[in-house]
Amino acid sequence: MNSAQIEIQLIASLVAIACAIPGTFLVLRKMAMISDAISHSILPGIVIGFFITQDLNSPLLILLAALTGVITVVLVERIQKTGLVKEDTAIGLVFPALFSIGVIMIAKNANDIHLDVDAVLLGELAFAPFDRLIISGIDVGPKSLWIIGSILMATIGLLIAFFKELKISTFDVGLAASLGFSPALIHYGLMTVASVTTVGAFDAVGAILVVALMIAPAASAYLLTTDLKKMLGLAIVFGVFSAISGYWLAHWLDASIAGSITTILGLLFLVIYLFAPSKGLIAVMYREKQQRTEVSLLTFLLHLKNHSEERERHVNHLQEHINWQKVRAKTVLDLALKNNMIVIDKKIVSLTEKGDEFTSLAIDYIITNEDAQIEDMKDDFFLFRG
Amino acid sequence: MDIQEYFSLVFSDYTLRTITLGTAILGAVTGMLGSFAVLRKQSLLGDAISHAALPGIAIAFLITGAKDSNTLLIGALVSGLIGTFWIRGIVNKTHLKSDTALGLILSLFFGFGMLLLTFIQKQPNANQAGLDKYLFGQAATLVESDVWLMAIVTGICLFVLLLFWKEFKILLFDKDYAKTLGFNTKSIDILITSFIVLAIVLGLQTVGVVLMSAMLLAPAAAARQWTNSLSKMVFLAAIFGAFSGVFGTAISASQNNLSTGPVIVIVASVFVIFSFIFSPNRGLLFRQIRFIANRRDLELQKTLAFMYRIAETHENISHPHAIKILNNFQGFTRKTLQKLVDKNYVTLDGTMWSLTEKGFETASNLYNQQAINDE
Repeated sequence: MNSAQIEIQLIASLVAIACAIPGTFLVLRKMAMISDAISHSILPGIVIGFFITQDLNSPLLILLAALTGVITVVLVERIQKTGLVKEDTAIGLVFPALFSIGVIMIAKNANDIHLDVDAVLLGELAFAPFDRLIISGIDVGPKSLWIIGSILMATIGLLIAFFKELKISTFDVGLAASLGFSPALIHYGLMTVASVTTVGAFDAVGAILVVALMIAPAASAYLLTTDLKKMLGLAIVFGVFSAISGYWLAHWLDASIAGSITTILGLLFLVIYLFAPSKGLIAVMYREKQQRTEVSLLTFLLHLKNHSEERERHVNHLQEHINWQKVRAKTVLDLALKNNMIVIDKKIVSLTEKGDEFTSLAIDYIITNEDAQIEDMKDDFFLFRG
Repeated sequence: MDIQEYFSLVFSDYTLRTITLGTAILGAVTGMLGSFAVLRKQSLLGDAISHAALPGIAIAFLITGAKDSNTLLIGALVSGLIGTFWIRGIVNKTHLKSDTALGLILSLFFGFGMLLLTFIQKQPNANQAGLDKYLFGQAATLVESDVWLMAIVTGICLFVLLLFWKEFKILLFDKDYAKTLGFNTKSIDILITSFIVLAIVLGLQTVGVVLMSAMLLAPAAAARQWTNSLSKMVFLAAIFGAFSGVFGTAISASQNNLSTGPVIVIVASVFVIFSFIFSPNRGLLFRQIRFIANRRDLELQKTLAFMYRIAETHENISHPHAIKILNNFQGFTRKTLQKLVDKNYVTLDGTMWSLTEKGFETASNLYNQQAINDE
């Protein structure tokens, strides 16, 4: 590994951390698409900033572009408040318009400025180490490293200072307002941080990757934990892991670094989406199947309780009457037997004492319809799951 | 070339005619299907799908090695559909919300597409120049066969829309009701979503990945302001879309260095702003006017009620009172007083006013009516 490679990985990792922190809150506040809107609509801000400063890395440009990001958020909220369209439509209307203005401004001045849309949207991390910051003749490292480093420092500082406020206003806006924190202030603060991060990172990794780095690690982490601190930590770990392994994938394929990092993020999310212990696809489907069997068992027991005639309680009759398929009927029957809810005598099914008690309670539950009750019941009766 | 010259050339010049027709048809079909996207609160689906189509284009190119736009569009369609159904899977099966799912699919698919594009560029047989036109779109590359394809797809869309109009409509406004009526809501849902994906994919070549979502939304959002009827909205959206296409092409053709996609989007946005402000029922301007009119009306009633309270205490309801005593009352202005006179509720005599029979009658029923209206 030469120094340029280390620098690229360092920049990518810092960008990943800087994105993961606001990203977590955006995902929790159901505002993930705002980051996409911001990442597109900063373009006119960048172009105007570039006209003024002629330097893509100047702090003034970053501020101007971040301001466009905040303006986007304000515009979206204004349009939404008129009640003429829904929030998502408002987002979808604002950012393409702003982005178009940016593209047209670039096109009209194509001869004067050295800036093209691809660079803004896609970025090129591989060139980042070549643009170096030189202070009084001493090379202190790549410019983007310093920019993203200072943005990250500011973000972490704000996070530690306002963690409690952020947490409360994210999960309970009403409580936050009644405790005297201004939800609006925190909202715009977060939006400003998201805008600044997007602008600071776009030059290195491109606007689209910024969106990926904000949303994907946070979403993956959200599938694994419901603790805010753990979620932040996991999101940062996922971000850094993808940044570094993405770099090596790009190195191996000789392709875009930003694209590779996103691909790794995508694979990571796919794995977690499928295999997350309690919220992944497989776990959810397994649980749904289990619940279906439990409901069937309940229906079955209720049927038995309601009918005393032998004809209604014959094993074969159940298939016809409740209209279950053979396999399902057998599963339910086995489950009921295992739980000592029923006894089968000469193919006639009857409830045991335990089954009878359980069914009475179940009827109570169905009438009152309180969720918590049935969970206790399962424990009380040592119910084996299907 | 100025705009006039453009319109004289549009019927004779092959390129201009093709592009104009292409963008007009595209605008019409996206406007039509966009109406459904907007009403189904899937506005940002367009954004997500258009980004998600990118890896499909790249993979189709990698497999066939051909730049034939139809093959690439099929690739885009497949990957767009995969993206859509994954979004649905995430929203249905996990506790992640739809905005997160959209953002995830959008950025992850797009990033993967970029990886593939850069990978293709490094290939030795790379005649890949032109693949990146799908990023920002180039209406100029439209040829007659593309326009035919668009026209055919639009025709199919229209046919399917008319055929399943009832089903689409009921699914849109009352899904549960549709289910109880025995409609297969799942397949209707898939059908309409697939057509939205198809429209988006068609537009990629013309306006590009980034701006496609605006093509879908803007005409529909503008049309929504003018009507409350679905059929009128779809029709209007198609017209707005087509006009954005034609005007956008005209403006971009008459200027140097203006790519068509962004100009079309700006024109469509202008339509939206105009509709937001000037639509008669929902528009901001008329809403403000109605608001002011209502306030005046309320003030008028307040003054009348105040007069009534005074007149009540006298035996003769038309007993004159000084205008001065109204002065410390908020609702009173010279204008409202004049209006009351015009309505024959009050008569003025110098600095004195008196309530007429009619005015007394109206004032005594003022709050009763309110109560009746509320019920």
